[in-house]
Amino acid sequence: MSWRFRFIFVSILFLFFIVVLRLFYWQVIRAQELSIMGQLQYGKIIMTTPKRGEIKTSDNFPVATNKVTYRVFANPKEIRDIKETSLKLSQALDIKEASVSANLNLNLFWVSIAENINPEKREEIEKLKLPGVGFEQQFTRFYPEGSMAAQLIGFVGRDDLAKSKGYFGVEGYYDMLLKGREGKAIQVHDAFGRPILAKLSSISNQIDGSDLMLTIDRSAQFLVERILKDGIEKYGAESGMVGVINPKTGEILAMASFPNFDPMNYEIYSEALYKNPFISDTYEPGSTFKPLVMSAALNSKLVTPKTKCPICAGPVSIGGYDIHTWNDKYNKDINMVDVIMHSDNTGMVYVAQKLKVDGMIEYLKKYGIGDLTGIDLQGEVSPGLKPKNLWYPVDLATTGFGQGISITPIELLSAISAIANKGKRMQPHVVSAIQNSDGSNIKIVPKSLGSPISEETAKVMTEIMVNAVDKGEASWARLKGYRIAGKTGTASIPIAGHYDPTQTIASFVGFAPANDPKFAMIVIFHKPQSSIYGAETAAPVFFKIAKDLLIYYQIPPNE
Amino acid sequence: MKKPITLIILLLLIVLVLSVVRTVVSNGMSTSGSMLSRVSEELDYYKTENASLKEMVYLKASLTNISSEAAKLGFVDQKTSFAISSSLPIAVKQ
Repeated sequence: MSWRFRFIFVSILFLFFIVVLRLFYWQVIRAQELSIMGQLQYGKIIMTTPKRGEIKTSDNFPVATNKVTYRVFANPKEIRDIKETSLKLSQALDIKEASVSANLNLNLFWVSIAENINPEKREEIEKLKLPGVGFEQQFTRFYPEGSMAAQLIGFVGRDDLAKSKGYFGVEGYYDMLLKGREGKAIQVHDAFGRPILAKLSSISNQIDGSDLMLTIDRSAQFLVERILKDGIEKYGAESGMVGVINPKTGEILAMASFPNFDPMNYEIYSEALYKNPFISDTYEPGSTFKPLVMSAALNSKLVTPKTKCPICAGPVSIGGYDIHTWNDKYNKDINMVDVIMHSDNTGMVYVAQKLKVDGMIEYLKKYGIGDLTGIDLQGEVSPGLKPKNLWYPVDLATTGFGQGISITPIELLSAISAIANKGKRMQPHVVSAIQNSDGSNIKIVPKSLGSPISEETAKVMTEIMVNAVDKGEASWARLKGYRIAGKTGTASIPIAGHYDPTQTIASFVGFAPANDPKFAMIVIFHKPQSSIYGAETAAPVFFKIAKDLLIYYQIPPNE
Repeated sequence: MKKPITLIILLLLIVLVLSVVRTVVSNGMSTSGSMLSRVSEELDYYKTENASLKEMVYLKASLTNISSEAAKLGFVDQKTSFAISSSLPIAVKQ
């Protein structure tokens, strides 16, 4: 072989190598970029919406899911007879002909006519065989149980960019997890630049939203809502709410309030109904607060159940105010067990004074009063506690019986749960597990928030509350056969610097069975009309729900 | 100069074989493409149908629906309940 031949052969091989190298650069290293550039010549990048995650109750039933609906669109340039098409579409969709006609007269390639139509309606319109009219599949939020737990679940609306966004409750709090991540796809268009809606390239980077498993027991929620609704009607209350919690784990088993709204048609309801009053409204708890103050004094060993009240023979004067009992009846030398049983305000003034401001603030903080409970729902508020220098003697006295202090119902339920759970307070929560779209499962572990009182104090306080149920004002309504710990509350409503003499907030808080509680519950009625007292309104509703829950959880009577 | 001719013939043969392979593969792909499209459409149809059926099942299985259906059939809430607080002796020793 001559040297010239070798030279030419090696040169050609080298040139081939250069070409292969360049091809490798374009086809491997910059392949994706070029592919997108190529695709963009016949289409454009659009963002694809992932499927929103479902919200399921503890029995795996979706209380918030997605249903298939369609958007009706039209290409005005393809419509031959605008008048006829407008008339037929308006009749089929039950919308004004003028509105359809205005859209079809626009100088555009694509106009939206109607959204959220069901598959049957789509078929009906398809049969009309209207040229230039098409359908786009979409997913709409759907709530199979209607308005059940509406304020706890929240709803899905639109944000500033008209994208789906969860508001209030679980939908709001877990919006990022539920909505997932948008994907990218190429929208193919024809030679005139018109989009070919059926032609989408494969979607990349899309992650569907995660499903949430709630701690809510659907059956418990259903029966709580039914009884609460009946109670509101029976007692003529303006509104009412019930919360049921597992004190050992902090799991919310049911949370209901009325009036509520339908999350599928939220826009037709007043915005005031969107928020969950159980976590967003504050009120003066009245006598349902007494177990917290009493247990604080018992735990500090400032009083014992047998301690006699030396100031309970008549009204107590503090800072120019006279503090009376609810029925203006006074029991000289009443002991602490009877103070709770008779819901004696003067007795609680004595207990509060024993605690002093420092002790009161210390224990209220331990019970989480004045702080957010950290429940995983959007919209929780807490008015906080007054700074120590603003506590006057009358404030200390009234706090002893739950007036002059504002809290949310969830704060009180969480604090009472500590008494039910051997003095240990658990963080209330509504989500028990997160199921990701890749199949992974994250369990939410119950979190302890500390122990405001000892196990021994919790036992003593429980017995005092059982005694209050058995012999107190609400004993007529109590559930026979079961040991239930509880306390009534009839709180005055502050208006313009004084208390409304005719209206109250009636409530009852307690837990059952007292020895080994399965649930703690609070029932609150706002401005009941048939009676202003908690013992005559909230208490019977509490026991009615407790009875059904005890049967449902198959807990036999223990007395 | 015998070797370059062999090389050229070899290259031409490779080109020929590759052309035939490409024709066969393209032919196969052209039909499987339309089949794939049909399968994809069918999949979308069943997915939609599945979603509609799920919606129907959820509505029927909702407690709200079950309770109203039960009421229509005449079922009513149990107004009273009783419990045996202590077991009765089967036989008393004399």
